[in-house]
Amino acid sequence: MVVFLIRRVVQALVVLLLVTIITFALLRMIPGNVAVAIMGPSVYRDPAAIKLFDTTYGFNKPWYSQYLLWLAHIAQGNLGYSWKLNQSVVSLLAVRLPKTIALVGISTIVALIVAIPIGTIQAVRRNKPADHVFNAFSTIFYAMPAFLLGILLILVFAIKFPILPAEGPQGAGVGVIFTEFNAMILPITSLALVTIALFSRYMRSSVLDNITEDYVRTAKAKGASERRILVRHVLRNSLIPIATLIGLSLPGILSGALITEAVFNYPGTGLLFFQAAQSSDYPVLLGITVIVAVATVVGSLLADIAYAVLDPRVRYVSS
Amino acid sequence: MGRAPEHERRPRSRLRRRMLAVTVGAAALALVAAGCGGSSGSSGSSSTGGTKTTGGTATLALPPSTTPNYVFPFTSSEFISVTNSDYLALLLYRPLYWFGQGSQPTVNNAISVADPPIFNGNKVTINLKHYMWSNGTPVTAQNVVFWLNMESAVGATDYGAYTGFPNTVVTGIKAVSPTELTMTMNKAYSQTWFLYNELSQITPMPTAWDRTAAGPSHCTTTISDCAAVYAYLDTQSKALSSYVNSPLWSVVDGPWKLSAFNADGHITFVPNKSYSGPVKPSLAAFQEVPFTTDTSEYSVLQSPSGASKIDVGYVPTEDLPAKPANAAVGTNPLASKGYTMNPLPVWGINYYVVNFQSTTGNGPIIKQLYFRQALAYLMNQAAVIAGPLKGYGSITVGPVASAPVTSFLSPKGKQGDPFPYNPTKAKSLLTSHGWNVVAGGQTTCKTPSLCGPGVKAGQPLKFNFPYATGTAWQEAEYTQLQSNAAALGIKLNLQPKPFNQVTALAAGNCVVAKIPCNWDMADWGGGWSFAPDYAPTGETLFKCGAIANSGGYCDTNNDALINSTLTNSSNQALYNWQDYLAPQLPMMWQPNADYAVYEIANNLHGVWPLSPTLTFTPEDWYFVK
Repeated sequence: MVVFLIRRVVQALVVLLLVTIITFALLRMIPGNVAVAIMGPSVYRDPAAIKLFDTTYGFNKPWYSQYLLWLAHIAQGNLGYSWKLNQSVVSLLAVRLPKTIALVGISTIVALIVAIPIGTIQAVRRNKPADHVFNAFSTIFYAMPAFLLGILLILVFAIKFPILPAEGPQGAGVGVIFTEFNAMILPITSLALVTIALFSRYMRSSVLDNITEDYVRTAKAKGASERRILVRHVLRNSLIPIATLIGLSLPGILSGALITEAVFNYPGTGLLFFQAAQSSDYPVLLGITVIVAVATVVGSLLADIAYAVLDPRVRYVSS
Repeated sequence: MGRAPEHERRPRSRLRRRMLAVTVGAAALALVAAGCGGSSGSSGSSSTGGTKTTGGTATLALPPSTTPNYVFPFTSSEFISVTNSDYLALLLYRPLYWFGQGSQPTVNNAISVADPPIFNGNKVTINLKHYMWSNGTPVTAQNVVFWLNMESAVGATDYGAYTGFPNTVVTGIKAVSPTELTMTMNKAYSQTWFLYNELSQITPMPTAWDRTAAGPSHCTTTISDCAAVYAYLDTQSKALSSYVNSPLWSVVDGPWKLSAFNADGHITFVPNKSYSGPVKPSLAAFQEVPFTTDTSEYSVLQSPSGASKIDVGYVPTEDLPAKPANAAVGTNPLASKGYTMNPLPVWGINYYVVNFQSTTGNGPIIKQLYFRQALAYLMNQAAVIAGPLKGYGSITVGPVASAPVTSFLSPKGKQGDPFPYNPTKAKSLLTSHGWNVVAGGQTTCKTPSLCGPGVKAGQPLKFNFPYATGTAWQEAEYTQLQSNAAALGIKLNLQPKPFNQVTALAAGNCVVAKIPCNWDMADWGGGWSFAPDYAPTGETLFKCGAIANSGGYCDTNNDALINSTLTNSSNQALYNWQDYLAPQLPMMWQPNADYAVYEIANNLHGVWPLSPTLTFTPEDWYFVK
């Protein structure tokens, strides 16, 4: 197990390094002068201002020097400074990331709580009315763009029947989420519905795969009850791919959060990334990329570890 | 002319402002001047009547995806923007001269810190009114010198609105007394130009700001001290969390002071009890709230709740009601919610750029006036305004804005579009100049001697045209123009790009800026707004070699006429210049969208009319019962 862990951690570090190199290089390949993008075209008449900007932010150095400098700063916990927002990237993320984590975390938990029973019921009641109904709903939500779902929820629950706020909690800090939790209901619902559709479909397939396994037949032969077989044997084994799926779904969920954040006026990390991309705010783009890459790699790593814990065969094969 | 952008520093301030409008998506609509003034431009429930009350908190929706983040009014190129100036600094620190009077972009003497300047040849005298800083010290002539010294010291590299003032035009500055300042200019300038484009940039700064981290400094008297003072203040302005209690930024002379500042855009202002201006705030507080998109803002407007209520918001372009002909606005979708709708034109012009210096081989064609005129006849400004803009825009008639109608606009300019849509005339211009027009195909030069110098036989009318994506009405406009051009065999190769890429490519004169000139036409969508140089005199946009002269148009006669506007106070000089330049098409005129269509709560009075300079005066606002 230790060897397995060391190997996976080393792989994760290599992946992270590659992600930073590729992202950094791609951003530097974007056409246009960064100083002009930030300060506007009239800065052309002030070459000294461009020179000052380039010197201040290291754009007068070769790209690999810039990269190494940036990497050294990251090692010290310095993700850079946002030219557009006049704040350090760390302080921006300190405000925005908890909000996104809260939104994504709560909606993912809600999605799991709902999706696992639904997927299981669908598998157990395969091709029965309940399966068809849930199938229809999951297909609809899976196919529906996140922004459309968000807008529909606002139209129905905030405008037509004004029972919930049209925007997410406003104010500084993540604490506002709890003081204005009713404002979180629509954003969480919006993100969770799409995720439920995804998870429930995987859960259904997984349970169907397991329900025909030999060990289920053996359990039945031993006289175990249907409920015991389902909960103690089938469900546990069926959750293994879901554990992996959660880790791999992280980037997708964050993408969905971007849309949800925009629709519900909830200024989180996803929206910050989108705005930074529009304004060539490289430090923010790189900072968020690093954070998301770390989250994805760590999520994947944890999923692998969970997989190994749940299924010893993985450890044996790996070693 | 204004600095641009983006919102972009006109090109600093201009571009910046436009960017705001574009990015936010809430903006981009423009109103014809006649329809903008007062309540005549309103729709929905009446906002008149009621008993004035004192107190209450008014909430203003910030433009989408923008938050104020730089409080120092001597704003660097990195941070100059409508958001930082109009939504933050101008509420706290009053400029020497305020521009925006009702629906006109003119000087507002009533709320300016100084009396109107007194000109005497090449000398100007400025007398300050009795204004006080919130720390109990008076606003003095030395506070004005403090600003001027800083501009002399670091303006060229660090001040976003820099135009060379004061060094290029002022030879002497003297604080005669605490309330009187004199300036000696290197020659007599147009009084309008000097006031609107030079003095307009000054904001008195308190003595409390004349310091560095080491302690008090002497920028007020010693220019060489100013760089260090600027560096210190710039750094302090990056400490957003310190704004409210900062010993620097809490010293204000404006009607408001900060009581809460959240970097995410939630800002609360409360009245400055020692404000010396003529109208003291009636509101107990004034709030600004941020929005991720115009759609999310509109959702809150439609569904106000206790925690989420907007008193002054805006309608996204896609949700705007079409404006019937001869009406100021369409049917207000939020009338039943208690709002009145008002469109706000922005003081500026809009155009797409044709590159006279193009290295693609099309430069010689673009230099031909007949070709530019043919192209102008293919731009259907009226249809764009009536269609994609739903009526909320104005026709650009030349280098001076037509909305709102001002005394700057010549009688000829007031006659409307100099090149109304007319494909027949366009075709005639091309065929009479040696082009073989192939409708729907590819038009080529048949007779080079007629096509113009440098144009080769068989050369096609085929142009690359990068443009900024993200604004639906403009994309519809480009498509329409492309279609109209294709009908005459002119191929416009539209190339959608992010805004920043288009401005980096085409918002500066490529030869002067020493950047690639390999583009034919371009549009970043923002045009040019006149602020904080409010007189539309054209020296920064249309003179030979001007950096913001994106296409590289150069005409000595035009330069002479512009120079005349800088020294002649008569509007006739301005008329002569614009009447000459408008049909020369140094840029290709296109519709100018309204900055925004506002929704104002009916129980909040004093808001309208907002100024086309985009400034706010919430000290005029009050609730009624």
